[in-house]
Amino acid sequence: MSDEDIRIGVFVCDCGTNIAGVVDVPAVVAFARGLEHVVLADEGRWSCSVDYLSKMQDLIRENEINRVVVASCTPRTHEPLFKRTTKEAGVNPYLLEFVSIREQVSWVHMKEPEIATEKAKDLVKMGVAKAALLEEGQEIRLPVKTDCLIIGGGMAGMNAALSVADQGFNAYIVEKEPELGGVLNQICFISHDNHKSPAARVIKARADQVRSHPRIKIFTDTQVDKVDGYIGSYTVTLKTNGDESEQNLDISTIIVATGMQEIEPADQFEYGNDPRIITQLQLDNKLKFKQLGDVKNVVMVSCVNSKNETRGCCNIGCHTSVKNAVAIKQLCPDADVHILYRDMSLIKEEGTAQQLAKRLGVKFLRFPDDRYPEVRKQNGDLKVKIYDLLVGKEFELLSDLVVLSTAFKGNNSVEQVKGLLKVSTNPDGFFQESHVKLGPLEFATDGISLAGCAKAPMTFRESSEEGIGAAMKASIPMQKGYIETEGIVADIDLTDCSQCGLCSKRCPYSAIKVDAEENPDVIKALCKGCGLCAADCPNECIGIVHYSDDQVFAQVEAALEKAPAEKIIAYVCHWCALGGVDMAGVSRLQYPSNARLIRVMCSARVSMKMMQRPFELGAAGVLVAGCEFPTCHYIEGNYAAEKRLKRAQKKLAKAGFDPEKLWNVWCSAADGPKFANTMRTMIQDLGL
Amino acid sequence: MSDSILVIGGGIAGINCAMNAAKYGTRVYLIDDTPSIGGMMARLDKTFPTNDCSICIEAPQMYEVDNHENIEIITNTEVRKVKKINGTFKVKLMQKAKYVDEEKCTGCGACVEVCPVSVPDPLDGKVGGMRKLVSMAFPQAVPNVVTVDPSCRFGDMRKGGACIGDCAVDCSQCRECPIALCVKACEKEGKKAITLWQSNKKLDLEVKSIVVATGIKNAPPVGDLLGYDKFENVITNTEFERLMNAGGPTSGEIVRPSDKKHAKKIAWIQCAGRGLADGKGTPYCSKICCMVSAKQTIITKEHDASVDATIFYNDLKAYGKGFWEFYRKAKENDVRYVRGRPYEVFEDSRTHNLTLRYEDLDSGDLQTHEVELLVLATGIMANDRNKRLAKALKLKLDDLGYFKEKDPLLSPLETDVDGIYLCGGATGPIDIAESVAQATAASMKAVCVRP
Repeated sequence: MSDEDIRIGVFVCDCGTNIAGVVDVPAVVAFARGLEHVVLADEGRWSCSVDYLSKMQDLIRENEINRVVVASCTPRTHEPLFKRTTKEAGVNPYLLEFVSIREQVSWVHMKEPEIATEKAKDLVKMGVAKAALLEEGQEIRLPVKTDCLIIGGGMAGMNAALSVADQGFNAYIVEKEPELGGVLNQICFISHDNHKSPAARVIKARADQVRSHPRIKIFTDTQVDKVDGYIGSYTVTLKTNGDESEQNLDISTIIVATGMQEIEPADQFEYGNDPRIITQLQLDNKLKFKQLGDVKNVVMVSCVNSKNETRGCCNIGCHTSVKNAVAIKQLCPDADVHILYRDMSLIKEEGTAQQLAKRLGVKFLRFPDDRYPEVRKQNGDLKVKIYDLLVGKEFELLSDLVVLSTAFKGNNSVEQVKGLLKVSTNPDGFFQESHVKLGPLEFATDGISLAGCAKAPMTFRESSEEGIGAAMKASIPMQKGYIETEGIVADIDLTDCSQCGLCSKRCPYSAIKVDAEENPDVIKALCKGCGLCAADCPNECIGIVHYSDDQVFAQVEAALEKAPAEKIIAYVCHWCALGGVDMAGVSRLQYPSNARLIRVMCSARVSMKMMQRPFELGAAGVLVAGCEFPTCHYIEGNYAAEKRLKRAQKKLAKAGFDPEKLWNVWCSAADGPKFANTMRTMIQDLGL
Repeated sequence: MSDSILVIGGGIAGINCAMNAAKYGTRVYLIDDTPSIGGMMARLDKTFPTNDCSICIEAPQMYEVDNHENIEIITNTEVRKVKKINGTFKVKLMQKAKYVDEEKCTGCGACVEVCPVSVPDPLDGKVGGMRKLVSMAFPQAVPNVVTVDPSCRFGDMRKGGACIGDCAVDCSQCRECPIALCVKACEKEGKKAITLWQSNKKLDLEVKSIVVATGIKNAPPVGDLLGYDKFENVITNTEFERLMNAGGPTSGEIVRPSDKKHAKKIAWIQCAGRGLADGKGTPYCSKICCMVSAKQTIITKEHDASVDATIFYNDLKAYGKGFWEFYRKAKENDVRYVRGRPYEVFEDSRTHNLTLRYEDLDSGDLQTHEVELLVLATGIMANDRNKRLAKALKLKLDDLGYFKEKDPLLSPLETDVDGIYLCGGATGPIDIAESVAQATAASMKAVCVRP
């Protein structure tokens, strides 16, 4: 497309008063009209409202706009909406550039309307400069067949398998233990409302259904050893215990349902020093096999290793202890049963269970958060010392069975499965879903869904529901027969390629294969678009769609055209760092307005040249912001960025720039204050 | 034979249920008995534990269902009768008139601007939200059309100035209104979308399965709970949420009802009204209120770090991923947590400040605490409309008014009627993420029904 053919439309949003209350939107619109290639600029009160979206489409068509710049909230929530709108108006959605003037401007510079307006103008100018260089992209459609791998044969996994198989798709359950049932195998009975059932019966009922289903194949005593490929065409290698041979499966979608396990207390409450001190699961096991014996004084301690500096609520401990206390009272009515707790965390019907326990004589004693009960052995007796919060006194309970309600962590296979599937986990050793509110059953990676206690401790019922829900997530592409993946991918121009092979070696997804002639080749469906290869390529022959060198440099130049000495160029990764920026905005944290943010998918995209270029143009400083370690949405892009930053500092010094002016921050999506503080400190240290 | 499904309730559960089913390739009718989909989540300011702006993450999903070719959204509509014949549900619906032609209205707001009569918005309760007689449910409403208050009909609001001039004809008979200001304004925009003569409409659907996603309601303070009826500055946590909300009646200013001054000293009472006799309060732990209050204190502190915030609580419910950390964050922000349940509230008639009497459970001492604004976390309850709907669907409710599952252990989300499933707040107190997970599971069951 020649220069004259570029027709850019700029749509600036008021967001009611969210933007327009601070930024002089009409002035920004007028400014935009004066920029090169801009044929139309319009102000919208609520750009995301249905009526404005259709107006926008009309304007695009009427003015033959072929590049769209939207200046509004944040691409993290609203980019898909505007992409669809653009596409429906007949413009390739990759020709949309999103500028964030709410989270990055009006919400964080609320007291400086003039400065905020100038910054908004700059950001729009940068957006327009990039938009002029945008190129059409295309979603890559991938065929998806109907074979679903389910890792984990517990309740969530079995429910998922049945839901998948009932539609006529094939389900393959891989269970590393010899039996199906997961953690439920250790449990005596389950209850909900007035429903109560021995766990063994529930497992058997489900396992029988699963085993007799013609479309379900079960591999017990088996682990997933290797996973290659991507949604629609995974090759999965299984290894069965005691069997040397391997088995390969062609798989289309994957459901992770690996469950959880107890964290056994270490050197706490005399656990391990006496067989009468057990965990809640061990008690369940005793009840199940009728090995409780004749107990007289049972003391349960809640929140063992939960609700402290490192771990949250175990979610199921209170309900389990009440349930098991009732079971003990029913078996040994004369036994004294005490539950020592911090907070009784019971909901809806679970409260009824507590009332039953109280009627049966179970005693509930509350201890302070910072004063846990102590267990000691004296002359063969077990004694539990507790400070009773209600009475305000400390006393000792004699006990012949101490039961610890322990915390849980993801099953010990989590690390291995995480490595195979390249998905995220949290510090508690559970898998991390794509969004805590709206994406509870899926990972960020297409084709892999998540269910049950692999995500967080949950009740039997919740696990079952999640299994069915995860099956739906897996079934949608299998039913449709394809998925569409985003077209932000690497593209190699072989003209200057020296066949060094670095790109292929560095790609975290093995998406770049070297062919017989030693030429690198990108398998686009595998590429996630992080840009690590492009930033590291010594001959600069790799481009990333929508984040090419030219486009980024155009943004840098536009930002630094005026008053560069007052400005900071901040490269911000789309995931956590921009999440932090957005968080600072949502939280209305006020920070200096010197930074001009440039979004990249991953901090690994920021090449040495991108770090140096702003200094050549006179910028006051450069910031590279990525995800907080160890999180990275591209496995370890931030680690690569960190290494490169060190090299860049040396290079900057050689080129005569002050390496101290190159900054970095690794911040989580929840950490608005960290980003805001970085801005404040930078301004101070750079003397702005 | 129909291959469509019906989702009753357009909150976050209904939206997700409809979206998954539609992506699967099934045709979906998504109905809601209010003028817009969005449900409870659309009225929230933030969501815990990430403090995501609620409407900001919900609105894109609302637009997505609105734009999906497999979904038909029908708002302001109730289920009247359902009959199952040969595996197909024959559903009779009643669409209450919005007195607006949905095809013609573009939500431009010209009618709202000219309407001279404001009435209290029942959803904003004591914090003083007003809406015009013709109004949009909220700015991001889907469908993005206005609704006219039924009290406008027959010139009933003429005294307030809504209609200029006399008219002898019955609204339902007239086809051209010469006197209503909203009608005139709309005509001036060239749209003629306001139709005061519109009547309720009967609709018939045939579907192979039904998902009930009717949601929950906030438990109202009963009697004179902790001074709620007597004292202006005692509000519920839902009303406080509206105060925090930039789109709410105070544009996000946390001011108290009595004098509209910023409240500098605020207390939250957890489990307010819980366990009251005669089933008036919530008889159980509603699960979400501890996190709602943690969120409200954190946001309050973000608005103004100098605010003195105290939470009175009994058992802390921090049950989900990241929730305990969220509670710790509140404490790090100097939110004071006091174990104890205030039992009496007095008002200083001069300052309108409130004094609470409570027993500090940690020390056992009887104490008092004075605040400028008091927030009651009253919990959540089953939706009132469940009763009528249960009758139409031939389903049972439990003692608490939630829909009963056939067997929550072995067949979760299934009901006594084959082909009718449940999700979200229809099943009990629940948070957003759990609603989404259940909705996805319910959609799986609903699309798999073979007609």
